[in-house]
Amino acid sequence: MRYVIIGASAAGLTAAETIRKWDPEGRIAVISDEPLLPYSRPLLTYLLGKEIRPEQIFLKSGQYFEQWRLEAFLGKAVTRVDPEARTVHLADGQTLPYDRLLIASGAEPRLPGIPGEDLDGVFTLRHLADLQRLEAGLVPGGSVAVVGAGAVGLKVAEALVHRGIKVHLFEREAQPLTQVLDPVAAQLLQDAIKRRGIRLYLHSWPEAVLGKKGKVEALALNNNRVLPVQAVLFSVGVQARTGFLASAGLADPGGIRVDHFMQTSYPDIYAAGDCTKPPHLITGEPRAFHIWPAAVAQGEVAGANMAGARRRYEGLLPQNSISLKDIKIITGGHLKPDPPDGEVFCELDRHRGHYRRLVLQNGRLVGVTLIGPRAAEAGIYFQLIARKVPVKDLPTDIRAADFHPGKLWA
Amino acid sequence: MKTVLVRPERCLGCLQCRLACAAEHSRSKDLLGALLEEVKPKPRLKIYPGRQHWAFPNKCRHCDPAPCQAVCIAGAITKDPLRGTTDIDPARCINCAMCAMACPFGALTYAATFQAPERHAVALKCDQCPDREAAGRLPACVEACKVGALTYGEVEELQEEKGRVIAQAVFAAFQVAAETAPRLPETISRWRILA
Repeated sequence: MRYVIIGASAAGLTAAETIRKWDPEGRIAVISDEPLLPYSRPLLTYLLGKEIRPEQIFLKSGQYFEQWRLEAFLGKAVTRVDPEARTVHLADGQTLPYDRLLIASGAEPRLPGIPGEDLDGVFTLRHLADLQRLEAGLVPGGSVAVVGAGAVGLKVAEALVHRGIKVHLFEREAQPLTQVLDPVAAQLLQDAIKRRGIRLYLHSWPEAVLGKKGKVEALALNNNRVLPVQAVLFSVGVQARTGFLASAGLADPGGIRVDHFMQTSYPDIYAAGDCTKPPHLITGEPRAFHIWPAAVAQGEVAGANMAGARRRYEGLLPQNSISLKDIKIITGGHLKPDPPDGEVFCELDRHRGHYRRLVLQNGRLVGVTLIGPRAAEAGIYFQLIARKVPVKDLPTDIRAADFHPGKLWA
Repeated sequence: MKTVLVRPERCLGCLQCRLACAAEHSRSKDLLGALLEEVKPKPRLKIYPGRQHWAFPNKCRHCDPAPCQAVCIAGAITKDPLRGTTDIDPARCINCAMCAMACPFGALTYAATFQAPERHAVALKCDQCPDREAAGRLPACVEACKVGALTYGEVEELQEEKGRVIAQAVFAAFQVAAETAPRLPETISRWRILA
């Protein structure tokens, strides 16, 4: 059996390892356009903040590919997939035949599409090369605009502040992380952002990047203000990398359609990770949601099924962990808005920075937000959501103020 | 492979295990010394109020495969092939709390440790006292437990022992039921079955 995997990050490598466990004989080729050994993209912001040493970004050892007997095609871009001939075409002219193909090509940062995005000093952060460019463009004591207060934007802002750079963080909506946080949680987050010394501008967005001699000088904002900055970093979301599939007809605009077995519309082509639009665990609707744990879980299911097992992916449970220096926020399940027939239970201890918000629908837990030390218990709530347990069947009432996870067991 | 087996029905919630655990995970490995250290050590196991019992000791089960290891974006969590434990490297941990989302038992704590002085917090959990194991000693929590709620030994043997305890309890309960039930003449019991 010849397996070909496009992408060597969370989904692709988990799939490769899973295939190897099921099929010790098969030939597994892993293609990545990154010339380096596999590294952890989420760690880029930590590397930017100098919280880790450069070598710690690499997840696998130098012998990884030999250890797992994988044929590595690093630094090679895929130009086209031919599902009829069952071949993958690389930019350097090579053609790889496959019996089973996994597409785990990930996602690319989006740009908002405003004038001046091509100027020198406009960045996104997704690849190690992006980080090196950004590092080169940083001026000590300078000021940087970060556009988009999502998970990446917040971590980048924190990292830059840590490096002694003045950060202006822009958010189009009325609060940061508008898709996942309710107003109370958002307020706690905003307080933490302020304590970190990040300037947060709500209802604000740039309408153009202004520059001189091809270099960024300022941002033109929606309220007719002009803010002088040395660099702009856009973190306004990502989109699936599926350009090479244009002729194969596999991808919707939001990502590759997959079923519960991570199979695409071609039975011998599977897809996993950020490039897909997997079913939502609660609603069952296909929806792109770019998180590491989902990529790992999907890679495992896809890998097992490619090797001949029959494993089912129950669906993606959206979850986010926002960890700034003095606040920990974990959210999971239904995103905003709350379901119209949902019941909401909140517990807030502003003094101790503790917040617990549960959303129930049809007697089942469908959403949770935790802030503070008890965020460490998030996995318990996620289990309740994932298993769709009716709360009345639990040994204790999870809504009660004296709820403790110990009461679920003994 | 050895493990710590928890018997929640025996726990009285005295928290001595937490104290011993914190002391073991300090630089000096000594209770008095730990109090003087710059970074105060944190216990790696939790005692919650229970529903039926006094208290419920909750700690890492060292799952295999470990869900926390699968989602760790920093590559800080590994399985020790010999000891069977799931270990977190504090030098690599970035305090992102991905493991908290994956752990179905809520076994993690986020706090500072002397092992990673440059970080304000890292993920902490039971490491099953590797230094003590190397010296042939019991894990600190097991040594501190006075009521047998925390026991240490080979996984299979502990499971077998636990099964035997449950079987004996069930058998004893049946015995009591048999002794207290009124004895009926043979004929009457037959008559009852027919009715």
